[in-house]
Amino acid sequence: MELKGFRETEQYDPRILEDIQKSVFFTKLEQLKAWSRTRSLWPLTFGLACCAIEMMSTGAARYDFDRFGVIFRASPRHADVMIVAGTVTAKMAPVLRTLYDQMPEPKYVISMGSCATCGGPYKESYSVLNGVDRIVPVDVYVPGCPPTPPALIDGVDLLREKIRREAKGEKVTQG
Amino acid sequence: MFRLLKGFGVTFNYFRKKNITIQYPDEKVVMPARFRGIHRFFPDKCIVCDLCVKVCPTDVITLTGKKSEENPKKKVIDTYNIDFQGCILCDFCTEVCPTDAIVMTARYNNLSSFNRAEQFKDIHWLSDNHVYGHYEESDPVPEMGERGERK
Repeated sequence: MELKGFRETEQYDPRILEDIQKSVFFTKLEQLKAWSRTRSLWPLTFGLACCAIEMMSTGAARYDFDRFGVIFRASPRHADVMIVAGTVTAKMAPVLRTLYDQMPEPKYVISMGSCATCGGPYKESYSVLNGVDRIVPVDVYVPGCPPTPPALIDGVDLLREKIRREAKGEKVTQG
Repeated sequence: MFRLLKGFGVTFNYFRKKNITIQYPDEKVVMPARFRGIHRFFPDKCIVCDLCVKVCPTDVITLTGKKSEENPKKKVIDTYNIDFQGCILCDFCTEVCPTDAIVMTARYNNLSSFNRAEQFKDIHWLSDNHVYGHYEESDPVPEMGERGERK
């Protein structure tokens, strides 16, 4: 927590300063916004292949995604984050881009599984897009074929960390 | 009325049952020993036979070897890379390996990254992956059988 010009002054009683540190919560508006964003990430259900089954089971009772405020939405206009779960074929790619454009800002993309990340076993196929990051910017890559529900929860957790760090002004690598 | 209660019988039954949700980041599920997670590599065991590269269906394994210093007929491993973003965890490399130099561990979490370059696992990462089956390094490592199965 940065208190510029505040801590350097000697005229304040250090005990009062300590009391302020304990009782008053200083934050920047951007960080507050980022915090509120991380607490309710609504993903767009974008299940394309077998990874969708794992995504569904993450939302189900055993690994309850609602514990993290992650509630699946059926419309891109409600969603903050798109979890691309599965093989993106060349036919599906323009649809995916359209849905991404329909999402309101700020928007994030999680690439789930081998197929969405780099094509996976279909990377030499004529009809499969080799990586969803060719058409949309991807924030977090979750490896696995398919990733287990804990791995997806970790991926969402990493996205939270990214949102928080970007709000602080740090640059998180991408691409 | 009775039909309504009968229909809700399944629902009401769940109130007296145990909570099935796994509070994941706090409590982790220990996967069974033959779960296929990320690999672990033993550089000392590897004989650079190139079988895992040939068998890999997604061509994510690359390796190079060099001549052994004490025995010029033998080869030792120099680099061993797994491009984990494309790995489909099919276990073929473990099955084909004659010396069990590459094994699948039960590690499944904390592998996601911000960029694709971090998914590129080199020999140091794979050797330092101190999970063996679902055993940690501190536990006694079980003896391996003929085909990689536990004795």
